[in-house]
Amino acid sequence: MVVLRAGLCPGLTEEMIQLLRANSIQTVVDFVSSDLEDIAQKCSLSYKALVAVRRVLLAQFSAFPANGADLYEEIKSSTAILPTGSPSLDQLLDSGLYTGEVTELMGAPGSGKTQVCLGIAATVSLSLKQHILFLDSTGGFTASRLHQMLRAEEEEEQLEALQRIQVVRVFDIYEMLRALQELRERLCQQVVSSMEPLKIVVIDSVSAVIYPLLGGKQSEGLAIMMQLARELKTLAREFSLAVVVTNQVTRDSSTGPPKPALGRSWSFVPSTRVLLASKEVTLEKATTQRIASLAKSPRQAVGIQVELDIGSGDVTPTERL
Amino acid sequence: MGDAFRRAESGTQLLARLEGRSGLKSLEPYLFAEEGSPVHGDVIEFHGPEGTGKTEMLYHLIARCIIPKSGGGLEVEVMFIDTDYHFDMLRLVTILENRLAQRTEDMIKQCLGRLFLVNCNSSTQLLLTLYSLENMFCIHPSLCLLIIDSISAFYWIDRSNGGESLTLQERNLKKCANFLEKLVSEHHLALFATTQTLMQKSANSAESFFPSKLPHETDTDYRPYLCKAWQQMVTHRVFFSKQCNSGNSKRFTVTSCHLKRNHVVKRSFSIAECGVQF
Repeated sequence: MVVLRAGLCPGLTEEMIQLLRANSIQTVVDFVSSDLEDIAQKCSLSYKALVAVRRVLLAQFSAFPANGADLYEEIKSSTAILPTGSPSLDQLLDSGLYTGEVTELMGAPGSGKTQVCLGIAATVSLSLKQHILFLDSTGGFTASRLHQMLRAEEEEEQLEALQRIQVVRVFDIYEMLRALQELRERLCQQVVSSMEPLKIVVIDSVSAVIYPLLGGKQSEGLAIMMQLARELKTLAREFSLAVVVTNQVTRDSSTGPPKPALGRSWSFVPSTRVLLASKEVTLEKATTQRIASLAKSPRQAVGIQVELDIGSGDVTPTERL
Repeated sequence: MGDAFRRAESGTQLLARLEGRSGLKSLEPYLFAEEGSPVHGDVIEFHGPEGTGKTEMLYHLIARCIIPKSGGGLEVEVMFIDTDYHFDMLRLVTILENRLAQRTEDMIKQCLGRLFLVNCNSSTQLLLTLYSLENMFCIHPSLCLLIIDSISAFYWIDRSNGGESLTLQERNLKKCANFLEKLVSEHHLALFATTQTLMQKSANSAESFFPSKLPHETDTDYRPYLCKAWQQMVTHRVFFSKQCNSGNSKRFTVTSCHLKRNHVVKRSFSIAECGVQF
């Protein structure tokens, strides 16, 4: 709620504000929703001046409609598709991670979410030579594993690729929101001065910071979760980033299908959702085979499955997009 | 207050506006329980959990509206308010390409020129944006469809900001609902809004705050949580759900209710490359 104050917009003087306040108009919303003819009479202010102020306030605080054709041009030029490092996963995602969207990887512990995230970081850094922001809230990020993924490259290139991956360890929701705020400031500067391009943010995991907030009858936890969701989506859309988040799974009953954790409100947030699960093998030994299935997608039919191998993880440079 | 902003309409503008209105009847007859829907003044709510096809249905309606009459569409303009950053332009273009006979860039651009998009970040911004859009409806007489996806996006944030008082929590949405009612009746629009199933239906219906009187509410997983001002405005409610079939084809169900006349109809649809297919 923005409170009216002098200088908020040209034409809004201190005396005007005092007169308005005397008639219980204190915020921008109060002013815009009131009958200006009525106000002009009661406060003995000029109707024309009030109309002008109203127009400026609306222009300042409301959102501006864009035409579909212009928006299409903009999206065509700014959308990129980033490779994940695994051709079968790329195929599942309709050629890769789309910028401007939030993609969710969900799976039980040990299903390979962190490995896939590391693979994405390594691929984007190596083949596209772009910067990545990795927000680690579980402590699962290991630089040595990344190094192992890049071992096929020359040492200089390895070093450069590792330098392009920025890791921030966040252990609660406020640290995560702060890291995203810093990212936003950095991206605003990037737009002004063409600094190193950043096109992807990986968050592993988002459930670790939100779980402590949920539960009980208070709705503050849900409100903060929705604020985080809103921040992620706005960043993705405004700066054309691909945002990848990882999430746990829960089940309705012991035999039900797995569904994403964090509840119904979160389930609306990602545009694409991939379920990672271990491949069932008859032998007892652990395997690096995983099955990825598409649980939600704006472009493809749901239910496609592919097989992944998270073990070898040798990142081979894919073609530049 | 509206009179100060409304310019005098010319004869052609009036004709354009009235023509646009009558055309809406053929928008999507499968979606409504009664023939001859929607008409101007109707407020239709799409309700359902995630992944049930609400946004796809909106793309379908948009495509029906913006495609020119020569292509089988209604050739009217649409205003889309996106509160979720969910709108996928590339998907809409894919649907248009599949439905148009001539898939040239120019044709697509011409169709997209009839669509206006706004993104809103908070319920306050939504309210202020609605006020500023009033002017647009005056200037564009063929703008007769207003879509809000979704109107429940700020529910938890508003609830937390309002603290303990229910009135404060619902204040913004109530003002939005009142202003929307005014916009819809003054400018003869049809309003489509999606709401998300954020809460589980309480097992004991006697406990629920708004007791369900209508028969359709007992079947579906519907628990009303938005403010009364909005609920009273809605003329049609369409529930979306997935069909749990053993077959592979993903089908979805719509249960469409005309609230005043208490007619309920169930239909199913599937989603293909070209969008919704009944």
